[in-house]
Amino acid sequence: MAFELKINGKQVSVDADPQTPLLWVLRDHLQMTGTKYGCGINQCGACTVTIDGQAARSCNIPAAQAVGRTIVTIEGLSPDRTHAVQKAWAELDVPQCGYCQAGQMMAAVGLLARNPNPTDADIDQAMNNLCRCGTYVRIRAAVKRAAELV
Amino acid sequence: MTKHETDFRNGVATPEVSRRAFIITAAAAGGGMVLGISSATEAQATNTTGYPGVQTKAPEFTNHISITPDNKVIVRATKMEIGNGVLTSIAMIATEELGCDWSTVSAEYVLPSRNLAENNVYSKTGVLAYFAGRSTGKEMMDQMLQAGASARERLKAAAAQKWNVPAGEIKAEKSMLIHEASGKKATYGEMAEAAAAVKLDKEPAPKPHSQWTFLTKTSQKRLNLPLILDGSAKYGIDIQVPGMVYATVRHVPSHGGRLKSYNFEAIKAMPGVRAVVVIDPDEKRAGLPGNAVAPMGFSATTNGPQAAVAVIADHYWQAKVALDLLPIEWDPGEGKQWTNTAKVYETIAAAAKDAGKGNIIRQIGDVDAALKDGKKVEAEFMTPYNDHFLMEPLNGTALVTADKVEVWVPTQHPQQAMYVTADETGVPPEKVTVYPTYVGMGCGRRIYGDDVRTVVAIAKKVQGTPVKVIWTREEMTRQGRYRDLAAASFTATLGPDGMPKAVDINQAATRSSGRNLSDTPYATNIPNFRVRTKVFNTNLMTGPFRGPMYTSNLFFLETFINQLAETAKIDAVEYRRKLLANYPDPGWVKVLDEVAQKANWGQSLPKGTAQGVAIGNWAMANTKEGAPVPNTGSTVAAIVMVEVSRRGQVSIPRVDIAMDLGTVMNQEGVRAQMEGGVIMGLSAGLLEEININNGAVVEGNLDTYRVLRQNDPLLPQEIHVHFGGNTNHERLSEAGEPPMGPPPAAFAHAYFKATGKWLTRQPLTKYMA
Ligand code: FES
Ligand code: FES
Repeated sequence: MAFELKINGKQVSVDADPQTPLLWVLRDHLQMTGTKYGCGINQCGACTVTIDGQAARSCNIPAAQAVGRTIVTIEGLSPDRTHAVQKAWAELDVPQCGYCQAGQMMAAVGLLARNPNPTDADIDQAMNNLCRCGTYVRIRAAVKRAAELV
Repeated sequence: MTKHETDFRNGVATPEVSRRAFIITAAAAGGGMVLGISSATEAQATNTTGYPGVQTKAPEFTNHISITPDNKVIVRATKMEIGNGVLTSIAMIATEELGCDWSTVSAEYVLPSRNLAENNVYSKTGVLAYFAGRSTGKEMMDQMLQAGASARERLKAAAAQKWNVPAGEIKAEKSMLIHEASGKKATYGEMAEAAAAVKLDKEPAPKPHSQWTFLTKTSQKRLNLPLILDGSAKYGIDIQVPGMVYATVRHVPSHGGRLKSYNFEAIKAMPGVRAVVVIDPDEKRAGLPGNAVAPMGFSATTNGPQAAVAVIADHYWQAKVALDLLPIEWDPGEGKQWTNTAKVYETIAAAAKDAGKGNIIRQIGDVDAALKDGKKVEAEFMTPYNDHFLMEPLNGTALVTADKVEVWVPTQHPQQAMYVTADETGVPPEKVTVYPTYVGMGCGRRIYGDDVRTVVAIAKKVQGTPVKVIWTREEMTRQGRYRDLAAASFTATLGPDGMPKAVDINQAATRSSGRNLSDTPYATNIPNFRVRTKVFNTNLMTGPFRGPMYTSNLFFLETFINQLAETAKIDAVEYRRKLLANYPDPGWVKVLDEVAQKANWGQSLPKGTAQGVAIGNWAMANTKEGAPVPNTGSTVAAIVMVEVSRRGQVSIPRVDIAMDLGTVMNQEGVRAQMEGGVIMGLSAGLLEEININNGAVVEGNLDTYRVLRQNDPLLPQEIHVHFGGNTNHERLSEAGEPPMGPPPAAFAHAYFKATGKWLTRQPLTKYMA
């Protein structure tokens, strides 16, 4: 069944079962592979995108629920890696393997949209994504740096 | 209909197919895909932005260096980027000698098929040439430094010829060739084509380390950072091969068991479902032709075929939904004797206590006699199975045809992947192309090629159609190659000075290793010392876990040393200084002193807050007798501060870590590895445990397997990495595994000082008050 989604400012048509999680529509149907699969059960945050400006875990959202809403993925954050979060992540050299980082950055975007000056506790709550490489200390610093750069 | 799939012909079985499957087979036949994808489609899959295996065409100076006419340097590496920055390090090493501008440098993988076609020129350093661990081993460094020097001299020679001046008068710097006397200048790129054709009479000798200006002097960020920032870095799971279908797989939950039956009818009509294929471990595998050798070997418990069922569908989600509904019956095999975790723990603890039959791996003095008198200290320890829980789930994409295989896979060892593929498909290694990708962390989970075997075992059942296989998180967790299970019992007697007269260690583990136990430098100052080991196994498979046996043995030994020090009422850092007094490697005491000073060891702290310490070495060499070789490996010490609130809430305000790697090549890269290793080491030691139920793993996902996260109360609030412990010894030792070791033992020590209770079993939180 075909339906339309608004992703990174573009209207795209998808031919898929609308109950398919948004994550797999992005990855398999639209070849937008920046958004990652980690756990599939709303825990790790690797699949985080923003929907209407709020961080959302795309593995846990049927594509149908995203119809008519504004979706932003890591690919759409900026045309040239100049979003404040991307700049902060580069400056603090956050990523190691990098696999979790699209989700981390999108979670940070969502956090900063609703809380421009987060405390450590705010960050720890909102950024509950898993990073097996253990980049947490830098993530916290990078979110604060991004808050300054916004 | 319930049936076994038994129709194996030449190792290729007919899958049970739905009607749709015939459509792809027919399309494949008509579309030319049976013969493998055309070079155009191959290019689509692998020449995309963010794929590190792109083979850019450009004049080649050496096996490892190309320079394009527009002045870009490409360093060709055999090390896969798993997050440890190894690809960047390799490029840095070549850059030191080449004298190029770092901003012009990129790195590409050398495919193992090219290595094979060129007579193993890239794997002269042996089985680890393609292992994505460290980059700074001596052989690899020498190879890359030589490549840089050779390319530089060719550039100079080409310029000399063109300008008609002596090569010795030409300077090569920042990607420019300069002849000062005549004022002539050219970029490396402008001279590249001529230079690549130059034959030197003699290859230049790389300069001594003392003259380095780039390595050890600067820090560089990882080359693929920009690709990570915008999501364009291609991991295995991101590879798109035109015409591919998707599969997800379930292996027998009890490792080593067999498939009894499954019922395809139950899911046949589900949307997108094309076929069910079976992996039969009893089917004969092809083996390798002639003198071909798989660098990591083949064995039933590392990468041998496991019984499995996979569903193939148009899309991953369809395959996953269908597999969840597919009725499958398994025979748990030998695993069923392991009815629960308690039984496993009792058995291994008993093996560790029953010292009699252990294999003596180190013996100094007369331990039995020396244990007879003096103050006795005894302790028992255990570390459970842990899963790697790498963020990128196992996956791979393969296209198998009768005489050719192509595989895209996130692997730590693509050469191993190539040979596993040949064994599984019967296609000779020279017809196998493995395209390695970026890797969502390795830690030893992706070296054996068991994942690759599963992928090609599925793909070979649908020849001519590319298949992407993705493990669910639950499947990956339950099909781990876990951190080794280990237990130990320690007995010591202390002399009147509080120092050990005798230490007797009996260890049982799923892997034979005395690293950081039998080879401890402390034994140079313990007159009677003995270590006995035994191997004990269940049906669960194990593998390297960011340092095989390192995190277990080090936890045992260092916790025991802290117990001795506390019993003797001697400061634990001072206790270690005394034990190390006779050891000729100055790094150990230097690292201890550095971390103690920086962490302000001994400071007075409020009640309920305390510091603990531990030290160890990863990759230290041993003598034939099992004694440590000074100035080898990476020595790391940690001080962990623990705070226990009045309500019993435990937190870690601060961790300090110092290291002696000899010389540090890329300081910021090492810092990142140290921070990450502290986190992963504490997560494993404090939180993680794999449980067993009738031979099968219980935990599957993050709802049951706790891994340290940003909001975990036990996440260290600060991690301070200190470099003042480095001895500037000429070795450039590794940084990935070392920080995994000391933190849990240092935590247990601090916890004891704060609460009076010793934690001797991991996961430590399970045994906290
Ligand atoms: S993949 Fe969605 S939260 Fe883990
Ligand atoms: S950077 Fe590797 S999992 Fe986060």
